[in-house]
Amino acid sequence: MTAVIQTKNLSKWYGNVLGLSDVSLEVEQGVTGLLGPNGAGKSTFLKLITGQIKPSIGHVAIQGQDVWNNYPLFGRIGFCPEQDAFYDEMTGWEFMTSLLSLYSFSRADVQSRAEKALDFVELAKDKDRLIRGYSRGMRQRLKLAQAVAHDPEIIILDEPLNGLDPLSKRKVIRLIKDYKEAGKTVIVSSHVLPEIEALTRTIILLHQGKILARGDIHYIRDLIDKHPHMISVKCSDPRRLASSLVGEPSVLNIQFGPAPDTVVFETQDRDKFFGLIPRLIVDHRIDVEEITSPDDNLQAVFDYLVGK
Amino acid sequence: MVISEQGYVHWQGTFIERRFPWWPITRLGIRLAFKRKFFKFVFSISLLPAVMFSTGVYISERLDDFQFMLKGQDRLLEVNPAFFKSYFTSEPLLFLMVMIMVLAGAGLICDDLKYNSLQLYFSRPLRKRDYVLGKMATVFFFLLILTLVPGLLFVLLKLIFAGSFKFLANYPWIPVSVIAFSLLVTLFFAFYTLLVSSLSKNRRYVSILLFLVYIFSNVFFGIFYSIFHNPYFCLLSIQCDIQQVGAAFFRQSPHYDVPWIYSFLVLAAICCLSAFVLKRKIRGVEVVK
Repeated sequence: MTAVIQTKNLSKWYGNVLGLSDVSLEVEQGVTGLLGPNGAGKSTFLKLITGQIKPSIGHVAIQGQDVWNNYPLFGRIGFCPEQDAFYDEMTGWEFMTSLLSLYSFSRADVQSRAEKALDFVELAKDKDRLIRGYSRGMRQRLKLAQAVAHDPEIIILDEPLNGLDPLSKRKVIRLIKDYKEAGKTVIVSSHVLPEIEALTRTIILLHQGKILARGDIHYIRDLIDKHPHMISVKCSDPRRLASSLVGEPSVLNIQFGPAPDTVVFETQDRDKFFGLIPRLIVDHRIDVEEITSPDDNLQAVFDYLVGK
Repeated sequence: MVISEQGYVHWQGTFIERRFPWWPITRLGIRLAFKRKFFKFVFSISLLPAVMFSTGVYISERLDDFQFMLKGQDRLLEVNPAFFKSYFTSEPLLFLMVMIMVLAGAGLICDDLKYNSLQLYFSRPLRKRDYVLGKMATVFFFLLILTLVPGLLFVLLKLIFAGSFKFLANYPWIPVSVIAFSLLVTLFFAFYTLLVSSLSKNRRYVSILLFLVYIFSNVFFGIFYSIFHNPYFCLLSIQCDIQQVGAAFFRQSPHYDVPWIYSFLVLAAICCLSAFVLKRKIRGVEVVK
């Protein structure tokens, strides 16, 4: 398959701060997940491949063409930034049409594309409302709409699921999958592994400006599964729950605290553990307030991968 | 192994670049300005000097009918280069131009910085120079309505009311001066507005700064001039610099005994400073965490 995006020895410094170091890779058609903790260099990488900032060393090419200062090429890219980028005093419709008019579309085309994109992200009925009154999910979908309204071949989404409620997340995930099925190239960045897992199996792991791993997400999953997991349960009777799991071979360690109603389990088989928990809760009639995984985040995976 | 649903298809179309890529930026700036509180009111008020001077052109051709009002002050209504200089360098007009910039120009770049819009613009087929041009054109749109349009209108009205081309025969260079000075003063104010607008993300601060720099440059000149009685302090005042250059463009003696070229250089230096700051401020948002 042809590589759509190619980077070679791509590096970027901000003064003395290293943003990205010696990144050489090829991105093919489909959805590619860009994973990394905050400050890993994801946004820098996305700004470099969208031609917004100039590489310090190396180069980026899209479909064989250098990106930097190649303005006509930008018409084929759709970019959804991480931060909000709206004029609050504009309506969704004004926002969409003003951005679409930067392309060489006719007035009628601008309007039909704006309508189509707003319809696509289910904002058509709210298009005449001021953006100031939009919810977080609506703003995120509007950002997505502006990225796809001109029907780009390459869509770059920087943390598109950040801060969304579960329902909005499902909608955005469905939209991204629709684009994948339409044969587009989509790069999605996130620092939350399960979000990327819901979208694609092809991932690039960035850490401290360097590529730590890339390939199939199952490879990373295996690494995670070998790594003991901490699972914290806040409930009405933590000692009773702990006693029921003492004999379970997958549980390696049990600790109480830091809060009096919290118990922390260490397990090597997270899936099995999560399979057991609901039954025990029902059997022992324990009221559960919260189940969290203190180390189920990318930083923990990275720490594990880099041997910290 | 990833199974792709559809192979990659190369784009077959041809990309047509907009002839005026800056125009959507300008149009948005104009549209947003008219949404601001008080803008329509101030903009209407700022047209009053032009209406008054147009009336003056009419009266100048009907002096006999208006003698009861003029009482021997006919000279004031004579349409000549001094008339044009009076309009273009009048303090009320310059003040109203600053007010227009405060209301319509303050947010031009500052709002884009505040709302992170630069990344949306520069991920599209839009060059930085087109972006700046679009922002400048917004200021041009409003200020040329107050300078170039009335200036040419005065010439036209004079010809219509006089019913002859004698005025143009006497002063053939006037239309050129009107166009050149309108463009110069508008260009200066456009650079000045964009410079101040790019210094902060807060529109209120920018508005205050736009206003205060203009006013205080005049105040400082007044203070220094009254202490040292040196006319060269007029170079500190934006208003005086414009008036000095205006006098030269309309072949009138300058108000202060200072070569007009010095004032022109001061205005040019502010434009250069603005271009330098804009080049540094308007670029892709770099992420440092």
